[in-house]
Amino acid sequence: MWAARTDTGWAFGDIAPEALTTLEAVPLLLTTRDPRVVERLHPETYAEDADEREWRRHAGEELRHLFASREELVRGDLARMRELPAGRGKFLLIPDAHVSGWLAALNAARLALYALNDLEPEWMAGKERERMSAQQRMALARIHLLAELQTVLLGERTREPHSSSADEDEDADESSNADE
Amino acid sequence: MSSRPGGSTETREREKTSLARPWNVVVHDDPVTLMAYVTKVFMQVFGYAKAKAERLMLEVHHQGRSIVWTGGREQAEIYAQQLQAHHLLTTLERVES
Repeated sequence: MWAARTDTGWAFGDIAPEALTTLEAVPLLLTTRDPRVVERLHPETYAEDADEREWRRHAGEELRHLFASREELVRGDLARMRELPAGRGKFLLIPDAHVSGWLAALNAARLALYALNDLEPEWMAGKERERMSAQQRMALARIHLLAELQTVLLGERTREPHSSSADEDEDADESSNADE
Repeated sequence: MSSRPGGSTETREREKTSLARPWNVVVHDDPVTLMAYVTKVFMQVFGYAKAKAERLMLEVHHQGRSIVWTGGREQAEIYAQQLQAHHLLTTLERVES
């Protein structure tokens, strides 16, 4: 997958089928009702119950609406993806006005994958990965792939066309070390 | 955001007291969120310079939490909501007198 700046936003090309599957799952991850994800995306804010109830009634409701509109934004951009000629995968354009929404959505999707797959902090830092199941390894790879997109959207990196998938794996591990 | 019409005298008194005391906006570490993203959010939400945003981000990373802002409850809630909108793990704590 490559990424490049255009006049109107960020373009991603040569999106491989596995990466496409991960991207297309982002809107679903944003709206999952799994309690592990809900707990992380709508965390307890106050120590006192009465304060927390009030917070959830006001701020919690507004956040739910925001996340729903963000899901629509991501879904819309994904629906507008085009096929590149000669079987070179898909092409995604993220307009500048959508970058902030995408960054947050990608963060939410990464957090959701982490929670849904019962991942552990040391695995994010590349340690003790021998204890991971195949499903957890796949989830971690997806988390790193989405981090790659975030890194590009943050303006920290561009990706040249024709990067090999092996390069992508290496870069993904690199970004995990920068995970907080 | 936190004040509302009506409610018992006790509730109103409690709110009046808590509105008067400063609150800390606290961001907690999580193993997933990118450091560069946290820095960007701090700059965007609070208007902090990059150096200050990075210092706070590193405090979160190394110490597990950082008080990123202190002040009136209403503004603290606005900031907490904005940080949670970006999925930073954020809580509000009353400053102990």
